[in-house]
Amino acid sequence: MNFQLTEEQRLIEQSAHDFAKEYLDPVVEQLDHTGDFPKAIIKELANHDFLGLHLPADVGGAGAGFVSYVAVIESLSRSCAAVASIMNNQAMVSYAIQHWGTEAQKKQYVQALVKGETIGAFAIYEHGPTPGIGPDALAATKRDGGYVLKGTKAYVRNAGEAGVYVAFAITDSAEPNALTAFVVDAKATGLKVGPKLNTMGLRGCPVAHVTFDNVSVPETAVLGAVKSGREIATRVLTLASVAEAAQTVGIGQAALEHAALYAKQRVQFGKPVATLQAVQTLLAEAATDCYLARLGLRSAAQLIEDAKPFETEAAIVKSFLARLGSKILVDTCQVEGGMGYSEAMPLPRLFRDIAGTTLLDAPADFPDYAIAASIA
Amino acid sequence: MSILTAEQQEIKKAAKEFVAKHIIPNAAEYDKTAEFHPFLLEAAKESKIFTMAIPKKYGGLGYEAVTQAVVVEEWGYGCAGMGTTLAAGVLGMDSLLIAGNEEQKQRYFDPILKGGIAAFALTEPGAGSDAAGVRTTAVRSGDEYIINGTKCFITNGGYASVYVILAKTDPSKGVKGISAFMVERGRPGFTIGETEHKLGIRSSNTVELLLKNVQVPAGNLIGKEGDGMKIAMMTLDMGRPMIAALAVGVAQRALDECVKYLHQRFPGKLQPGQTLQFKLADMQIQLEAARQTLHYTMNLRDSGLPYSKESAITKTLCGDVAMSVTTQAVSLMGSYAYTSEIAKLMRDAKIMQVYEGTNQIQRLVVSRAVLSPAPAVAAGQKAA
Repeated sequence: MNFQLTEEQRLIEQSAHDFAKEYLDPVVEQLDHTGDFPKAIIKELANHDFLGLHLPADVGGAGAGFVSYVAVIESLSRSCAAVASIMNNQAMVSYAIQHWGTEAQKKQYVQALVKGETIGAFAIYEHGPTPGIGPDALAATKRDGGYVLKGTKAYVRNAGEAGVYVAFAITDSAEPNALTAFVVDAKATGLKVGPKLNTMGLRGCPVAHVTFDNVSVPETAVLGAVKSGREIATRVLTLASVAEAAQTVGIGQAALEHAALYAKQRVQFGKPVATLQAVQTLLAEAATDCYLARLGLRSAAQLIEDAKPFETEAAIVKSFLARLGSKILVDTCQVEGGMGYSEAMPLPRLFRDIAGTTLLDAPADFPDYAIAASIA
Repeated sequence: MSILTAEQQEIKKAAKEFVAKHIIPNAAEYDKTAEFHPFLLEAAKESKIFTMAIPKKYGGLGYEAVTQAVVVEEWGYGCAGMGTTLAAGVLGMDSLLIAGNEEQKQRYFDPILKGGIAAFALTEPGAGSDAAGVRTTAVRSGDEYIINGTKCFITNGGYASVYVILAKTDPSKGVKGISAFMVERGRPGFTIGETEHKLGIRSSNTVELLLKNVQVPAGNLIGKEGDGMKIAMMTLDMGRPMIAALAVGVAQRALDECVKYLHQRFPGKLQPGQTLQFKLADMQIQLEAARQTLHYTMNLRDSGLPYSKESAITKTLCGDVAMSVTTQAVSLMGSYAYTSEIAKLMRDAKIMQVYEGTNQIQRLVVSRAVLSPAPAVAAGQKAA
């Protein structure tokens, strides 16, 4: 058993680190401030082969495994978690189409996603308690050899910028649990993206509600089998949750390093505050959480890479970070005191970002159910 | 006793109405723009609420500490940013209550009674947690003191009519060489520096104060030369529970918003599983424990008993609870919270662990009290 990255994985991680220094560090504050979609950076991610990292070489991918993928997401998140979010949502779409798509769907979308020519958005959530239930649940009705989509998907990331949506709909209102995935071109008539929502953090990764106002799609728009959407969604969301854990660790690591640096420079009581035990404890606990989370998520990533069952491990990682992710920022901000609350410093941004990677779409109890089910 | 009297309940109701009318409808917009809110000071002036800490004999409302905490909780419920403005506007007067002479009280309560606000200026770039590291100097010259230095993170600094400024009158004496002065706005050499942009409580005004050869009459000294740090610490003892009250308000708001959201999301059929039930119960348990601790501490103060340790305990507990409850609320409301003003509660809660002394500093205060005095060595035992 080897807990270290292989030489190849390490080089990929290093390249992401270098990319982050060159392209993300200089713009991260402005991106956070304006919330504008960083189109040029996404193109650069493609130019550096990051958007196809997880895909096989025959579709233009780099053929790297999931361990490398999460190492890259962590490295990018250390500098700018919003860009990592965009990339992660892009990967959810390219993965789904590559994995379940027809040859024609792959041909039309996967290369374009890998090259950054098209942005992808994964539209699963709805305003109702769970997708498929609720007055504006997305419903697909068969008509003229195709389907008509009607309803609203909520909190869709990359919405508005996306050229292609993977949207999940019910085909039979009597079976709200049976979702079907559709690949929908953003230009489809009736597809309307609502105003960009003002997010607390991860600013630059757009979030909006997307309304399908009688959008006609051909039968060939179905992704995978009819009524197999929930399996697709579960698998993609579980993979994404491991990648999201990598974002959390990246953000936490950045906060930890900044707080440690600050503590060494900040003099109070006649000495650097880094020499105070209370500060050392805060930093040590944050370092411990980051380290254990990284081990956990890399272990889950290795299972994914080896095509072994990974659902329980992914849930464990998610549950661990739902509890501890925000704590890392709550504590590191304490190290910097009043400065840790000033938007002139990086920690407030990291505080806002980490809330986005740990507290959302994890109705924090769902991973616990999955874990409990695996034990009993 | 922490059951409110009929009078306190009336005051609470009035505070709720004030908050519903003036604070809640404006909170999100002012959070977004991070602009100060003079309209709120006007509104507060009408109800004389600014004078609640000023004794009746000077023309103030003279509320007991418990009552003040009840009002401040409502402010925090509405908006911790605006609540901070109002609370600090009241707290700025605490030093004067502690150590001011009759003449000073008459003189400086007057602008507050007329609707002004006060600011308390202790922190400096080099004196944060290490409050004794004050470098601002006040040099006696005839009947005046000449003050020089820079203060930072001063709440209400840009809008106060009167300031309490801590400065060294005798640099050779360390902590015992610090003195407290009342400084009126507009004195030559006294200017407002940079405004701080913050993670939360964004509409509250946090600025740098620059003092360059500012002359104040010797009569502006509060207490005696060298009393400054003692006055400052007593001021913080009084202020910390008020921060705690804001924190309790923020936490209560988070829980209320959470419950409202759950009912809306599952209309008429909310049947929470035990996981959710327990999370909500834990939020309520923390919140209620925090509030009762706060009221107990205020009871101690109203009874004239020592409450310095309890003040630190209260601020730590309530600040940590506000952080925990708001985080849980955002988690339970997910993307809805992250893309709405609910997230503001979490950003606002964070300051409760930081200002008026970080919760680490509070723990130092508490641990000192716990360790002192050393327990008597029992007969037959040897001291370690």
